[in-house]
Parts: sequence; C-alpha cells; structure tokens
Amino acid sequence: MSEDHQIPPTSSISRWLFTTNHKDVGILYLVTSLYFLFLSGTLALLLRTQLAVPNNTFLSSAAYNQAFTTHGLIMVLWFLSPFAFSFANYIVPLQIGARDLAFPRINALSYWLYLFSGIMLLVSFFVGPADGGWTVYAPLNTARYSPNIGLNLTAGALVLFIVSITISSVNFITTILKMRAPGMKLMQMPMFTWSILITVFMMLYAFPSFLAGVSMLMVDRTLGTMYFSAPEGGSLLWDHVFWFFGHPEVYIVLFPAIGAVGDMIPSFTRRPLYGRKYIILGLIIAAVVSFMVWGHHMFVTGYDPLVAKIFTLTTIAVSLPFDVIVVAFIESLVRAKIKLKTPALFALGSIMLFIIGGVTGVFLGSVAIDHHLRGTYWVVAHFHYVMVGGGAVALIGALYYWFPKITGRMYKESLGKLHFALSFIGFNLLYFPMFINYDMPRRVVTYAEQAWAFNNFLATIGAFVFGLAQLLLLYNLFTSMRSGAPAGSNPWNAFTLEWATTSPPPDYNFEETPRVNSDGTVSLPKLTSFANGGTPSGYSAPHGLPHQSHLSPFPIILSALAFFALFGIVSLTFIPSASFSAGIVYLWIFFAALIMGGFAIYGFAREKFVAPEDETLEGWPFKNIGRMKMGIWTFMASEVIFFGVFIGAFLFIRAGTAEWPAIDTIFKIQHGAINTFILLTSSFTAVMAVVFSKKSSKGGVAASLALTLFLALWFLYNKATEWQELFHEGFTLSASPISSTYYITTGAHGAHVLGGIVALAVIIGGVLKGRYLGHDHGTVEYFGIYWHFVDIVWIFLFPLFYLL
Amino acid sequence: MVSNTSEIFIGLFNQFWFLGVLVSIVVLGLMTYLMLRFRDQGAKTPDPEDAPMLGKIPEDRGKIKTVAISLTLSSLILALLLGGTFGAIDAINNPPQGTLNVEVTGFQWGWKFKYPNNYQDTVMTVPKDEVVIVKIHSDDVFHSFGILEFKIKKDALNGRVNTIWFVARDAGEYNIVCYEFCGLGHTFMRTKLIVMEPNEFQDWYSKLKPGEIQHAPVQQGGQQP
Ligand code: HEM
Ligand SMILES: [Cu+2]
Ligand SMILES: [Cu+2]
Repeated sequence: MSEDHQIPPTSSISRWLFTTNHKDVGILYLVTSLYFLFLSGTLALLLRTQLAVPNNTFLSSAAYNQAFTTHGLIMVLWFLSPFAFSFANYIVPLQIGARDLAFPRINALSYWLYLFSGIMLLVSFFVGPADGGWTVYAPLNTARYSPNIGLNLTAGALVLFIVSITISSVNFITTILKMRAPGMKLMQMPMFTWSILITVFMMLYAFPSFLAGVSMLMVDRTLGTMYFSAPEGGSLLWDHVFWFFGHPEVYIVLFPAIGAVGDMIPSFTRRPLYGRKYIILGLIIAAVVSFMVWGHHMFVTGYDPLVAKIFTLTTIAVSLPFDVIVVAFIESLVRAKIKLKTPALFALGSIMLFIIGGVTGVFLGSVAIDHHLRGTYWVVAHFHYVMVGGGAVALIGALYYWFPKITGRMYKESLGKLHFALSFIGFNLLYFPMFINYDMPRRVVTYAEQAWAFNNFLATIGAFVFGLAQLLLLYNLFTSMRSGAPAGSNPWNAFTLEWATTSPPPDYNFEETPRVNSDGTVSLPKLTSFANGGTPSGYSAPHGLPHQSHLSPFPIILSALAFFALFGIVSLTFIPSASFSAGIVYLWIFFAALIMGGFAIYGFAREKFVAPEDETLEGWPFKNIGRMKMGIWTFMASEVIFFGVFIGAFLFIRAGTAEWPAIDTIFKIQHGAINTFILLTSSFTAVMAVVFSKKSSKGGVAASLALTLFLALWFLYNKATEWQELFHEGFTLSASPISSTYYITTGAHGAHVLGGIVALAVIIGGVLKGRYLGHDHGTVEYFGIYWHFVDIVWIFLFPLFYLL
Repeated sequence: MVSNTSEIFIGLFNQFWFLGVLVSIVVLGLMTYLMLRFRDQGAKTPDPEDAPMLGKIPEDRGKIKTVAISLTLSSLILALLLGGTFGAIDAINNPPQGTLNVEVTGFQWGWKFKYPNNYQDTVMTVPKDEVVIVKIHSDDVFHSFGILEFKIKKDALNGRVNTIWFVARDAGEYNIVCYEFCGLGHTFMRTKLIVMEPNEFQDWYSKLKPGEIQHAPVQQGGQQP
C-alpha cells in the first residue's frame, strides 16, 4: 500500500481509514472529539434538568451518578485534549514548516487508539457504567464496593487512552524539537506550537502516574491485590497518585487554549503579542510547578498541617505566572486595531472567563477556605470557568480561526457572532449562580433546600442556552464547509507559517520548505496551483528527498486488536464462575487478538514506509540525534515516572505499615543478589552487541545478543522459582499490602524484561539475516537504551525489597 | 455567627471576596475599555506600525517593567490573603482543651456518633458555648464529614482518625452533610446536629444509659427517591 504514492481523494473511505497524513489525522481527531462533546453535553443537560428544581425525581440516584461520571470523564479526557490535538495535528507541522510529524504512522496509531478507547468507554456505559465520578476515589473504586464490570472496562479504556496520549507526546516532542524550518529558533515558534510543546511534556510526565494508578486499580479489582483496599494505602494512596496526575491534567487541557489565544491576538489586534517571552516563560514555570501542587486537592484529608501550608504556598505561587500571561494578553490590546471577528470574540471572551476562574481558584488554594468549599458547587463553578471558559471557549475560537485553513472556505460571520453572544451569556447564567450556591454539596442527585432553588433554576436555563447555542456552531460549519466564500490562503493577514500555503494545504504542505533568515524575515515558498480554495490532489516531493508515504493499514489494525485483547481479558475477569462458556469466548477473543497483534506488529515493523529525514531542518539543540533515538529517549522519560509511582506507592504503603518483615526473612537476599548480578552482566553484553554492530561484525552481534537473551531468560527463571516458593509459604498476591506491592512492582519490571526478550528474539532473527549492522546499528542501540533502563530499575528494586 | 468556625470562615471568605471582586472588576473593566477604545473603526484607527505580516517574524515587544509591576501588585494581594489563611488554619487545627469528645463514624450511608459514656446515636447533640472535639473516622469508603452552617468539614477515612473542633454559639438544629461522593446513597447521607443550652444538655446527657441508642438506628442502604 505504501508503494502507492497517490493518496486517495477525500471522498474515499480507505483514505480516512489508512491515512497517516497529519492533516487528515487532525480532521479525524476534530470530528471524533466534537462527537464526544455533544454526547457528553447531552448528559450534562440531563444533569441540569434533574437539578432544575428541588426534590426532583427526573433521574434516579444511579442514573445521575453514572451521568456525571461519564460526563466528567468524556469532557476532560475524550473531548478537551483530543479537540486541542486536532489543531495540534493539523496546524503545528504547518506552523514550523514541516511536512508531517516525525512518526506519521505512530500519529495515526494515536488517533485509532483514542477512538477505540472511546468505544470501550461507550461499551462500558451500556453494560453498567462507572459511577464514582471522574476522580474514582478509593476504596469506592475497589471490587468490594463497586462490583460492576463497567468500571473494569472504563479502566481498560483509560489504559488505551493513556497509551495513545503517551506515544502522541513522544511524536510531538520529536517533531517540534527536530523538524523546524531551517533557521527557525525555538523562540521564534508560534505561541500555539509553544503551548503544545509544553503540554506534551506535561502529558509525558503526568499520564504515566495515572497509568500506574489505573494499573494498580486493575490488579486490585482482578487479582485481589490490596493497594486501595487496605488502610495502609487505600484512600490516600489513590489521592496522591490520582492528583499528582490530576493537577497537571487540568493545565494540559488549558495550555493549548492559551497558545491558540496567543496566536489569535496578533492576528486580530494587528500588533505583535505583548511580552511573548514572558508568556512562554510563565507557561514553562506553571508547567513545572503544576507537579508540586496536587496536595490542594487533599486539604481536608487531615494530613500534616505544615504540608498543607506548603501546598497553599505553592498553589498561590502557581497563580503568578498566569497573572503574567493574562496581563500580557491585556497589554496586547493597547494601541491596537482590534478587529472583533468571531475568533477574536471567543479568544477575548475566554480570557475574561479564565480570569474569573483564576480568581475563584485562589479561594480554593487557601487551605482554610477549602475547609468549607471543598466538595461544593463552588468547585464545580470554578473548574467549569477554567476548563470550559478558559479551555473549550478559546478552542472554539480556534476552530473558527483555522476553519478557513482547513476547508478553504469562510464561515458565516453573523452566525458566528450570534453563537458567541449566546454562548457567553448562557455560560455565565449557567455557572455564576453556582458560586452563590457555595454551600451546596456537589454530586448530589437532588436537594431539599429552598435557598438553593433559584440559583439552580437559573443555572439550568443557562445550560440550555449554552448547550443549544452550540448547534449554531455545527450548522454554521456544516453549511460553510460546502458553500462558504473561498477563504484564500491568508484571510486574517496573519504572520505564522500555516498561512503561507494554500487553504487547504497540499499533501506535502509546502511547495518548498520555508526558511527563516537571521534577520527574522522568512523566505516563503511560492504558492502555485491550488490557491483560493481548490482541493489539491496529486503528489510532489520536495526536491532531493524520497517520496513521503501517507498510507498504512497497520495503525487501525493494531488499535482494533489492542481493543479486542483488552476487551477479552477485562470481560474475562467478570464472568461469574457459572457461565463457563462465555468465559471461553472471551478467552478466545483475547488470544486471537494477541496472536494477530503479534503478526500486525511484525507487519508494522517490516512495512516499507518512507518518512524522509531532511538534514536541512532546524533541530537545535538535538540536531545530531536521530529522530528515532530522540523518540526512544523521550519515551524512557515517561517510563521513569511510571516506575517512580510504583516505587512511591510501595514506600507510601511501607511507611503506613507498623511491622515490616525483617531482612532476609521473606525476601531472601540470595535470590535478589543473583538476579542483580545476572542483569548487570546482561547490560554489559548489550553494550558489546552495540559495539559489534557498529563494526558490522555479524557473529559478534549475534553472540552478544544471544548471551543477553540467555541472561534475561535466566533472570525470569530465577524470579519464577522465587515466586513459587513464596506462594507455597502462603505469601500470595492478596496476603497483605506487602505481598501486593512486591508482586506487582517486581512483576511490572518482569514484564519489561519479557518485552526485552521478545525484542531480542526479533532482533537476533534480523541479525542472522544480515540486518542491523554497520550504518543500520540503530536498532541494536535502541534496544541497548531500553535494556539499560530495565536494569537500572532493578538496581532500585533490589535494595528496596531485599536490603532495607 | 452560629459557631466559631463559621466566624473564621466568613471573616476570611469576605477578605477574599472583597479583593477578588475588586481585582475582577478592575481587570475585566480595563479589558472591556481597551476592547472598545482600540476597536477597528476603519480609517479612524491608524494601522499600527508594527503590524505583523507574513514573511517576517515580529520583533519581541513588552517591557519587563510592566511584568514586574503586575507581579508585585498581585504578590502583595496574595501575601495578604496568605497571612489571613495561615492565621485561620492555625485556629482551625489547634483545639483548646475540649469539654466534650464525640466520635463520629461514617458508613455507607449514614453517620454514627459515640459519646464518652458509650452512648450511641445517629443524631449529634452538643451543648452551646463549649468546645466540642469531633474525632472522624470511616467504616468503609471515603466520606467527608461537614456541618453545613458551621462551614467546617474533614474527610472520614478508613484507617485514620481526623479531628475537627467547634464552639456552637446558638442553640438550634443544623445540617450534617457528606461532602465526598461515596456511592449510591451519598445524597441522602445527612443527619442533624442539635445544639442545646448547656443545662439542657447536662440534663439530657445524664439521663442516658451507656450503650443505649436513642434515635432510630440508621437504615443501611440510604433512601432513594
Ligand atoms: C467543555 C465542557 C465541560 C467540561 C470540561 C466539564 C467538566 C466537568 C467535570 C470534570 C465534572 C465533574 C464530574 C465529576 O464530578 O466526576 C463536571 C460535572 C458537571 N458538569 Fe460539566 N463540563 C463541561 C460542560 C458542561 C456543561 C455544558 C454543563 C451544563 C449543561 C455541565 C454541567 C455539569 C454538571 C451539572 C456537573 C455535575 C456536578 C456534580 O454533580 O458534581 N458541564 N463537568
Ligand atoms: Cu489542582
Ligand atoms: Cu458521601
């Protein structure tokens, strides 16, 4: 398929199923995320209908709980970030003058994993939804209190989703850092690209924590471990793990919106953004500090008062960079020529709502005030002002802003303005009354207090105004897509590079790669054939480079198989022992998907897919590191957090356990020491393999890799005997929090060893056929990086479990 | 004020509210003014000299001075609020010698109260003008024990005992509410706090028999509409 350089027309189904082009993937993200917006918005309207009057019985408790849980999960995870990333996909490569993302197939894979994770969430919604809120607090989330399969499927959906996010982060980091137009310095990147760069870094470090948490939840629910059910870990462990992810997550959904506003302001004020440097610096500082404020979600859990004060301090401190950002946006208006077009209205309106969200957040950052406001409608109002007001509203502005680029046509301005007015009024009518109702507990299905009735009623009216107004958006975009006035290449007279090509851009984005000169001027590519809204077709490669491939069937196949494998195994855990035959079916689904997945991965690896590396591109400061290597290193960073959280959970549980077994009683030092020795030796043989590979010594590589393989197998063998002994002594998974942490932490490590073994087998096979030698030594080297990481993790685990 | 805790909360909240509303009005007002003042009125508004154009990445503009001024201003405001917060939280966290200790246990879905004489109840009864210390705990999942009118709450966790304290100022009935989602019956995990005159309370308390349960035992499972 990849030999075929002609990308099928947009009317062809196979284009949309197999495309790897960043613009197509962007459109897929856009359509899917909007679908989730409207779905989840409908749930929100049900919630508001129920709350319109006191003592209402429109929804039952169960239905209400399921509705707000699914609403929250979808809005935060399946709508906001993917919506932002539809623009990141479409616009970021254009803004930096690239022809695609660094790993186009991985990008398509991210999308399909996202879609299938969403499908799994919807399946769970129909078989018995999760109903513990999007924060799924422990131990309500354990099998004992929530014995529904829905939560297992939701956890499965989250795993798929997080994998999608992680590989997409790696992709964007590599692209932005290594594939900028020649001469484009980091500080010259547009604001939206900057915000995406910072966002994906946050994603890379925050989501592994969530993955670790969800994994612990999964094993608790299926294998009977005790992370969240025993008092030593339990509620507080989940709180820490969840919010360590959760606070950065709210910035993750917000930052792309700030970036988009930062690009819209210059276009509509006709002046450069004020204090651009400081905005970027502010975003970076806020991103870093966002990992140090999670405790403000735990102010009333009763932890140490000094710690609470420190978290108050960090939380209040993190409002300062936002202060700088907002002030810079406002300064940008001074002596400008402000054109209040629809995108501008949404952008400026969003800043206003964000200001209110920020001010009310300072209240919640105060540990003393939080002793009343925690868990009330004040919180609901606050986070909607930030996430919907600051986030979604700005991104809707971005949709109007980039719509002409994507479709080549203009939307209808008057309808757009009406949409803004209704949204803005509806929004405030919906959420402002919730501040006044700050006594009312959230997540309640109804209330008897007459004092809260009026404000709730106003909010419900606001909800319908706000919700129905969004239909105008759909109508406007749908009709304009076909019949709007042709937009031309640069309708807003903007300066960023996405406007330097036709609307919509050709498959390869630019006729020639744009160049940024040292005086800040840009040598623009010429605009040929398809100016003014025509749909480009045909293919032309930049001179001197091989043709870029745009199609691959593997992303969708792999994602579907991952979906079925996970679906099978998750469902299997919930078959009552009686229905044995159903269990067999799920088992078959699991194994079939697994085996086919193995073939698909092999096919993916062997497919001839060309994504040329253009040496002229700007990649400071990573210019001399290959794309693939950069990707692997970036990915390893997320693995560090993943294991860090497992180790952190272990330490947390250990600190809460009164009696820890003495050294060398349960965990025999002898076992651990031998395995440490084995792994260290295997690191050495892995290095040897790289050296031989560079020297093109086939025998040397094969021998060192085989030795590594042997050592890895030996390690697992030892591990298995040790586990067997422990099991015999009654030290089972569910024996105690000690055994739970031991098996799961070392088990996660063992799984990584197993992954290494599979990779080794494949690589050795290749080496014997004469591959991966000399110039092609990269693969062996990437394996080496991974293998060292696995060894280093063990260097931490060994003393933690065996020696201390 | 109905209790010392609501007094602390409302005092601090008003500080925040005053400054928050002030800042919002100034900033939003300024923004609206600028939007109107510098809106594009065709030929009347001159084209800015530094208007961005395709083909040139604009020079950075913006003075560190503006950033510094706005940062200083907001730091001052935040420092003020921080001071108030630290004062208030110390008061909330450090109970004086208590006269009455009540143990409260949250469960799916209700509250149990236990008095020093082992008397148990599903409604909380305390005297006014006395320091009441509440030890909070959960039998099962995560709950949060809050007294709505007293504006104070703390989480009820399994495996840990949390403490709040208060002095009620007015006799009467108040609402005890669960503020952390805890499952199907969460909405209805409510009960009453009854504040009595001290002598009335003494009278009531001395007549109790240890182990006795006065109010109806809580129905497990909570009500649903
Ligand atoms: C981009 C849009 C939105 C986002 C990101 C968002 C996010 C959230 C989140 C995270 C929750 C918490 C769910 C939970 O407690 O587990 C929530 C709850 C809720 N949202 Fe939204 N929401 C959005 C739009 C809306 C709209 C348009 C409405 C009204 C029509 C709405 C009404 C509600 C209500 C009533 C709750 C339940 C509050 C509670 O019982 O605690 N939301 N939303
Ligand atoms: Cu937070
Ligand atoms: Cu509750």
